[in-house]
Amino acid sequence: MALRELKVCLLGDTGVGKSSIVWRFVEDSFDPNINPTIGASFMTKTVQYQNELHKFLIWDTAGQERFRALAPMYYRGSAAAIIVYDITKEESFQTLKNWVKELRQHGPPNIVVAIAGNKCDLSDAREVPEREAKDYADSIHAIFVETSAKNAININEVFIEISRRIPVVEAAGGTSGKGFKLGRQASESRRTCC
Amino acid sequence: MNHLSQCNTWQFTVKLTVQRPSRGGAAGVSRHSWGSSEAVRRPGVPGHPGIEKGPTLSFELSAEVVLDTASACQGNDRLLKKENSFLVVQDCATSLPSLLCVSAGGDNDTVLDYTIKSTGKAFQLSESRLSFSDLAQLVFFYSVTRDVLAVCLSIPQWIYSITGKNKDPFSQLEPNTWLNSPPDQQMEEITHREPSTVMCSIQLTSSNGALCIINPLYLREHGDDWLTQRERTVKCTTQASNFRRERRLSTTRPWVGAGLHNKRAISLDQGPSAASVESYGLTRAKSADSPSPSTPGATAGVVLRRPSQNSTMSPTHRASMESLLSSPSSTPEGLYGSASELQPHGSPVLQSPHRVSWIEDGVWMPPPRPSSSLHPPFRELDSLSVSSMEEEQECQIQSPPPHHPSAHRLADKVIHRLSAVGQALGGLVCQKKRLTNRVQEMSERKGSVFAEAVREFVDMTQRGGADPDGVMGSDFLQEVRSSLTSLRETLLDFPEIQALLDSITDLSDAEIDSLVELSLHKVALKPVSPHLYSCIRTSRTNDGSFKRLHSNLCVLEKNEVEELGGSAGVGVPDCVSLERIQQRWTTMHETYSPDKKVKMLLKVCKSIYDGMSTNSSSGKIFGADDFLPCLTWVLLRSDVVTIQLDTDYMMELLDPTQLQGEGGYYLTTLYASLYYISSFRPRIAARQLSVEAQQSLNQWHRRRTLHCNQSRRSKHRRTIRRQTFQERGSSDL
Repeated sequence: MALRELKVCLLGDTGVGKSSIVWRFVEDSFDPNINPTIGASFMTKTVQYQNELHKFLIWDTAGQERFRALAPMYYRGSAAAIIVYDITKEESFQTLKNWVKELRQHGPPNIVVAIAGNKCDLSDAREVPEREAKDYADSIHAIFVETSAKNAININEVFIEISRRIPVVEAAGGTSGKGFKLGRQASESRRTCC
Repeated sequence: MNHLSQCNTWQFTVKLTVQRPSRGGAAGVSRHSWGSSEAVRRPGVPGHPGIEKGPTLSFELSAEVVLDTASACQGNDRLLKKENSFLVVQDCATSLPSLLCVSAGGDNDTVLDYTIKSTGKAFQLSESRLSFSDLAQLVFFYSVTRDVLAVCLSIPQWIYSITGKNKDPFSQLEPNTWLNSPPDQQMEEITHREPSTVMCSIQLTSSNGALCIINPLYLREHGDDWLTQRERTVKCTTQASNFRRERRLSTTRPWVGAGLHNKRAISLDQGPSAASVESYGLTRAKSADSPSPSTPGATAGVVLRRPSQNSTMSPTHRASMESLLSSPSSTPEGLYGSASELQPHGSPVLQSPHRVSWIEDGVWMPPPRPSSSLHPPFRELDSLSVSSMEEEQECQIQSPPPHHPSAHRLADKVIHRLSAVGQALGGLVCQKKRLTNRVQEMSERKGSVFAEAVREFVDMTQRGGADPDGVMGSDFLQEVRSSLTSLRETLLDFPEIQALLDSITDLSDAEIDSLVELSLHKVALKPVSPHLYSCIRTSRTNDGSFKRLHSNLCVLEKNEVEELGGSAGVGVPDCVSLERIQQRWTTMHETYSPDKKVKMLLKVCKSIYDGMSTNSSSGKIFGADDFLPCLTWVLLRSDVVTIQLDTDYMMELLDPTQLQGEGGYYLTTLYASLYYISSFRPRIAARQLSVEAQQSLNQWHRRRTLHCNQSRRSKHRRTIRRQTFQERGSSDL
């Protein structure tokens, strides 16, 4: 089974729960021995998708306006970006639209964009209607889910959907390519079953 | 006491077994039992592994007190009056020890109970993860170190004075005397010692939870020359395949890449009992009057398992080892290795005098029966030479060490830096050193292709960068980077390097790249790094970055972390850890390898993260929203100019394939933070990137992705991998 490392960049206003989403995503696999993580701003998790293993390298970014100019360093080379907004904060949804624009302009081509409306457990304080966000996401062909990092709602689904949308890697030609791939299998499958 | 309620169903046996190693055969096994007023005598406990040792233990002393139910119930408190005294309670249904009762002393004469778990052939306290192959080991272990106990067990001093000659009076002892005070007839024979001299250092290293045990007493008596006498080893040709296979089979834990090596640690295990008994001068002098010193199982000292990488040793070296071994006197006196657990039974293979036991998380399994009960039965997953503790000398197997360290230098190192030892003693570390040494040697080989390539690289690099008409700054560094990659590919073409790498199993491509890269840094990057630094400095000075850094530092340095964008309540490193961070920045600056610099950076980031959560409200997860401001806060209190130099150096020279991982993330964040400081413009909204910033980032982007897949495309690399695959295929299937 081939292992693919997928860099995923998290974008969105400060306080919308970017790191909570990642934390929730990796927590069930969290083992200090396997996942020697310094802090929640960089985390990894490997999941199986069909006949591949996808190792997500999740890069968190600082959401403050003042650090906005630094984002290209982070989303460079990303296979996917998860743009997070807070359903109880209309402003964070507007920021999201700016991120989408910037990614379209400066981001890697073919980057998979996922939109996550976080804090869906706080529907009483909702400011962004789900319909509106869904329509927007569809218009830009982005993945859309409402999530709750607090209640672990739809967290895994975001990443499953990203796995599904990642372009299939072109098959390496010739027998040498096959041997190469099989050669990896021996190590990678052992690496992940723990 | 809770166990009193169980008295109705159990018969209690109080037992202490003292085992001493000695030469000779099986004849010496003897047991002495004595009982309570009912004088219940039992011929030992059948099937108890500690007693049924047979030929390997020629002298063995077992004392048992069998109490009936009633007297046990009354007796425990009475017997355990003395602090640290203890009883082992046996479950008569299973004939296995089931409870350890220890008097913790104090006003109430508290007696603490610890359940003893017997899993197959191993014994352990249920709270502890340490297993022992018999009860005596367990008792002796807990007499020198507490582990999970509240207090150490106290073994009456006079027990050590029991020898084969005077053991007869022993059988007349009462249970009380056994547990409390030495009988008069034994007192005169006791050589008093301070309890502190019988000690065993134990440290659980924090990061990997691995245990490292060494008995300083042995080192004090014998020095630690034997630790470094690598040549004095055993014939390992016949062992090689066995070792390798065993290592595979015993790895019950799935492979997790290089991280596994870090989780391993050693126990330099010395049977504490052996040391204790020896120290009383009760056993025979270990070698002088021992007629059959090569008897396997005559264990009396530290036994370190041979390094498994010997199995991959070059034939020439193997031969040289054998010739060294042909001298019988090469075995250090008194260090007779037990037959290895890894050896098939009946295989008359010489055993190394050195043994390192590997203890791995989660695999404290009862091992195959060791031939000596004096060695804790830690399942051994891997082993290596202790010599790899030495930073530079280690693994220079090609040539003997130029000098021997003083007798205790290494011992001190071991004792004081156990956790470091635990980290450093990985098989991979040794392999890495071998690779580094081989590459070094190749680079010095006159007229060789690689030596020429390195020389050319160094010359070209030294000439470059400074020329005003030539390429400058980061473009120059990118040339250096791509030359390094070419050099690495050249190295990978050499059969001797391929052979070395093939011998290191369980490595991914990335790990192989990183190993070769590190070895290359020493020969190629080290000579040119001062020049590279001066190029970066010139470049940064000319483009005004340093000036901007300086002026913005003055503007920002008074800012607290909230003003830098951190959320309220996020902590920053205190003075002490800020001081440590400064030291790490310095260390980071001093090393020439970008990989090692990144490691140091990660330590700094860890310290910052620790500081962030120290003062925070519970449960808050800190992501980049808070980390970037905190890192900026720290940078504003550091030597930003030097850190900028180091950051550029790392950014440009780190293998691009490593930039997506954790090191890449934090390096990017460091770069970003410095960028934030140097481009800080108060009152200007930073929504739009300045033209200058945009250009800089685009250029940066191009550089970073330029050579990313170079090595993956290499034809040679695939060749190597295919070979490895075939090897794996044949060995795994």
